[in-house]
Amino acid sequence: MSELNQNTDFLYPFIEGAEEDPSSLLVDLAASARGKAEVSARLQQDSLDEYEEQLQAAGAEMADRFARGGRLYTFGNGGSSTDAATLASLFCRPARGRAVPAWSLAADQAVVTALGNDVGFELIFSRQVIAHSKPVDIAVALSTSGNSDDLIMALTEAKKRGLLTIGFAGHSGGSMSTSTDVDYCFTIHSQSIHRIQESHARVGFRLWSIVQERTQRRVADLMAAGPSNPGGSS
Amino acid sequence: MTTTQEPATLIGEELSDDLASASLALARKFHTGATLWVISPQWEPHAHHVAVEFVHPVIMGKRALPSVALVDPDPVAQARVATRPGDVIIAVASADDPQVLDTMRRAPAWGAHTIWIGFGPRPPAGSADHVLWVESDDAMVPATGRFVLMYHLLWELTHVCFEHPGLLTVKDEDCTDEVCVTCSDEGRLGEVVMAPETLLSPALVRTATGEEAVDVTLVGEVAPGDLVLVHAGAAITRVDHDAEVPR
Repeated sequence: MSELNQNTDFLYPFIEGAEEDPSSLLVDLAASARGKAEVSARLQQDSLDEYEEQLQAAGAEMADRFARGGRLYTFGNGGSSTDAATLASLFCRPARGRAVPAWSLAADQAVVTALGNDVGFELIFSRQVIAHSKPVDIAVALSTSGNSDDLIMALTEAKKRGLLTIGFAGHSGGSMSTSTDVDYCFTIHSQSIHRIQESHARVGFRLWSIVQERTQRRVADLMAAGPSNPGGSS
Repeated sequence: MTTTQEPATLIGEELSDDLASASLALARKFHTGATLWVISPQWEPHAHHVAVEFVHPVIMGKRALPSVALVDPDPVAQARVATRPGDVIIAVASADDPQVLDTMRRAPAWGAHTIWIGFGPRPPAGSADHVLWVESDDAMVPATGRFVLMYHLLWELTHVCFEHPGLLTVKDEDCTDEVCVTCSDEGRLGEVVMAPETLLSPALVRTATGEEAVDVTLVGEVAPGDLVLVHAGAAITRVDHDAEVPR
């Protein structure tokens, strides 16, 4: 057995080619699925508990920026790029609540391949931050290692331009968790890329919920104050 | 700080059993050369996430497997031309997604095995070979990581199955009961490719075993895309839009 299989081998001491009846494998697979789901649920809850205060603070700043016309850019590599796209859709196309401008910087294959080919892969996101952003905007990066060069460079560029910068990391947080260019970093303490990504989704969803609550509160205050007099002197 | 809550149960007994059998079926299909096609018309990023999961595994040393996200505006047309007999189509979609319903209905005629991940009201029984369902009506489910967990587990369990080579081959004697319609000629699902050129000529029909000339005089005029049941070289009945298809 190679050491590459060590993560699952302990479950199956009888591994051999002669097996014919799948019933015991199916029982083990089902138990394994429930066990992993429990680990994921526990990690999600622990992460929510750990970061609630920072999520409230980040959500308040985001709501304030959206109110002032800010836009959200999300980015990541591989599976995390798709999670970044799901997060962007959650903000700009939510099943309920207010929509705000958001998009994933990995979404346009023409832009990504042009930048990757012409200026280098580590610049695929930072060059888009330069092209699109204003100081009022928000950058959210997702990386299970917290170390991806293309993400770190984009966050640095975003911070330089006055954007609010938020990182989702994993393992021990990598350079994302120590960088002064990252205003809020949510590090999921796990060694499993899958479990980290599941918690990224859950914590990202919590961040969205807080932005929605803050936005509703702002609108309620606005309505309670009654019709305004734009440009008036009172 | 909020008080610590007990984490929710994300995968219950029944769903874990469904995941186990879907994973074994998927591993067996990959073992015989399948490509995994992924559609998610409402949540395109999920389609891409499933594909990258299989193509570029997060655990070094695990096999790269063929998987492609189909994200054209017409996924039915895209899946029809992409799919070869023995392939697998996985959808991440709600039960009322018209494009996914249509794809799942046609898949047996293309010889494709089907897995359907979703939430809310379940699709009718028999809508896909495997239904992996999140029992929640909360419209926000697709953005909370529940689907991500589901396809992560599907990937993880599929790779566990590869460590059991003796179980990856389905022997012929396992395939004689009525469940396995494609082996008999009980009435196989077919999709009309070309209508008959004259009143007396057959139609070209695609079934799980390939394209064949089929007598359609019993069912009357047919057009490309129509679904029919084929028995002994003849179309014996049309399959309406709301009728269950044989899998």
